[in-house]
Amino acid sequence: MGLIDQAAEAFETEVNNLKLNVKDAVEALDREYAGSLYDTILTTKLGKVVGWAQKNALWPATFGLACCAIEMMAMANSRWDAARFGAEVFRASPRQADLMIVSGRVSQKMAPILKQIYDQMPEPKWVISMGACASCGGVFNNYSIVQGVDRVVPVDVYVPGCPPGPEALLYGVIKLQEKIMMEAGTDKAKKRVA
Amino acid sequence: MTSEEIVEKVKAALADAIQDTDLPQGDAVIFVAPDSWPAVAKFLKNDADLQFDYFSDVRGVDYLLEEREPRFEAVYQLYSIDHQHSIRVRVGIDEDNPSVPTVSDLWKGALYPEQELFDMFGINVEGHPTMERLIMPKDWEGFPLRKDYPLTTEAVTFSYNRDFKSDLVKSKPPTR
Amino acid sequence: MSVTEQGLLQRDKDTMTLNMGPQHPSTHGVFRVILEMDGEVVKTAEPEIGYLHTGIEKNCENKRYVHVIPMTDRLDYLNPPGNNLAFCLSTEKLLGVEIPDRANALRVIMCELSRIASHLVWLGTHALDIGAMTVFLYCWREREMVLDLNEEISGVRMMTSYIRIGGVAKDATRPWLDGIRDFIEYFPAKVDEYERLLTNNPIWIDRTEGIGAFTREEAINWSLSGPALRASGVNWDIRKTHPYSGYDKYDFDVPVYNNGDIYDRYRVRVEEMRQSRIIIKQALESLPDGPYKTPDNKVSLPPRETLHTSMEALIHHFKLVSEGISVPAGETYVPIEGARGEVGFYIVSDGTNVPARVKLRAPSFMAIPGMCKIMEGCYIADVVGIIGSIDIVMGEVDR
Repeated sequence: MGLIDQAAEAFETEVNNLKLNVKDAVEALDREYAGSLYDTILTTKLGKVVGWAQKNALWPATFGLACCAIEMMAMANSRWDAARFGAEVFRASPRQADLMIVSGRVSQKMAPILKQIYDQMPEPKWVISMGACASCGGVFNNYSIVQGVDRVVPVDVYVPGCPPGPEALLYGVIKLQEKIMMEAGTDKAKKRVA
Repeated sequence: MTSEEIVEKVKAALADAIQDTDLPQGDAVIFVAPDSWPAVAKFLKNDADLQFDYFSDVRGVDYLLEEREPRFEAVYQLYSIDHQHSIRVRVGIDEDNPSVPTVSDLWKGALYPEQELFDMFGINVEGHPTMERLIMPKDWEGFPLRKDYPLTTEAVTFSYNRDFKSDLVKSKPPTR
Repeated sequence: MSVTEQGLLQRDKDTMTLNMGPQHPSTHGVFRVILEMDGEVVKTAEPEIGYLHTGIEKNCENKRYVHVIPMTDRLDYLNPPGNNLAFCLSTEKLLGVEIPDRANALRVIMCELSRIASHLVWLGTHALDIGAMTVFLYCWREREMVLDLNEEISGVRMMTSYIRIGGVAKDATRPWLDGIRDFIEYFPAKVDEYERLLTNNPIWIDRTEGIGAFTREEAINWSLSGPALRASGVNWDIRKTHPYSGYDKYDFDVPVYNNGDIYDRYRVRVEEMRQSRIIIKQALESLPDGPYKTPDNKVSLPPRETLHTSMEALIHHFKLVSEGISVPAGETYVPIEGARGEVGFYIVSDGTNVPARVKLRAPSFMAIPGMCKIMEGCYIADVVGIIGSIDIVMGEVDR
């Protein structure tokens, strides 16, 4: 009897203690969360949530034309990771993309194709004009370069530079994200989805 | 072979086909008329001492502003891989119906540059399999690298001159 | 497809036309190939270029010589110092100006660094196209180091315009030289890393060996140059055959392989990265003292300190900045060994301060017909590998 009984008694007291501890803990938790129901519920406009989702998952379509494309690739690489901002998957097909970064000079021969790719993207879509050549023709004011890609497609953010460093392009993406948040839930965002 | 030797050898072998020779800054240069160019090219490629088997480039030049006859010139650059020497051949082309025979049967690398001669200067290359636009859009009119073709038809949009406001900017609609 | 008299559709030909359009992740720029395919085998490949035509050559005819240099940066945008050097060498040959040794050594360092950076982009994008994404991320990590060095010496990451007529833009700074020293210590281990990933990789070998091969005669006849020519067994490197900028002082090997397929072109370029690092090391160790640009003040700007005291220097400075250099009339061509092959500028001058004709000899432009010829008979997956291995840059193809 003796030792086993003692062991059994000790075991029982331990378990009872545990139960009491658990009960205490649960009561403590209940007390803590009693008045903070509103900390766990967020109220917002549906448009804002949609905008937040859109801005954090901008998928760029690969539209690298010239030198700026190399800096765009650098932005996608490990040093200036664009994946942190959601723009990781560079979709080859415009049908799966929502952001077109026009990086490079657009020649007269390429302009119809630029328009076609833009048309093939589903809405809502945004356009970043990267570099001086895409924004205004850049260094090349001649017969063969379209003087600014906004003559062909509507542009949301212009990123200057020749070529703009990846940090500048990333800043452009962040500015676009701010623009999306500003427009989210308003008529402007609704107009984008036609 | 040095440049002088190359020029001497070519002059000796094809005296009537070579209009002139020159040695600017140590390069071997010969001047040839378009009609005799294929024969000269064949000689340059097949002769054992010269053996110019590598075709580097052909460039078109428009001498309109210098007002010299002939107006155009096609300049060919050839190398020899084994002998490691080079030669430049300048073929003067007239302004009316500019044309030059092709050498793409000797060097296949000449196909694209000769097509570009047509695209940029309007020089017809006889015997070339594809005489159509290469770099410009297919329906483009005019030959851009000629001197009488304007660089741009559009005025400068922005200027550091504060009083300057281009017509393009004045009439531009506000962006979204 | 066409319509018969009875109004039925009928097939015109047995092959399928597949457009590998200008917008494509694997075409390395805006290059269009129209493939006639019999199943997965390519019957003919018709290239279409011109989607990046910038009219740079015509633009250069209206600019002074020093203003042409930033334009040349943007031609082959992966090797800007190479283009700068080619243009400056041609102009200096017409001018007859002598370049000091220190300037030559700095030019060589800049060009070889740029060759390494260009080959890193080539390796990263080529491997990415074939499916090896890790190499893409690794290569850009090293490229960032080279671009940081560019930024240190010239202020710009890519389009440095560092090499000017008469010498270089700025003397070498201590941080730049230290940075290069660190880079060349660090780099060989990285090239070994890329080779460990790819060279004996059975998937890589399957995708690249025996595919897209040029024979020696074909490579010469189709006017290939650079690594593509050397992979076909032709020992032709302009740094050795027509040395420029003091390349004959440096001791380096030129890798030549014999099969001419994609795998050999890969081996040639990887070995060239190692050799470039060796050249930089020698140039750095033997960097001579002296001026970094020619003392001839009709060509390069006089030092700023002399402007306070010397009237002549002031006049030269004024003339150079307002009018630019005046190049004697004539025409010339100096080839250099760029990252892709033979690069050179054919310059015609009419004696004024504006060139009359500037023509770039672009190695990628010359390689395109040959490249499309060897695509015939390959699978479509090989088309991607071939385009990547010839390493075309549309900026110099379309100019």
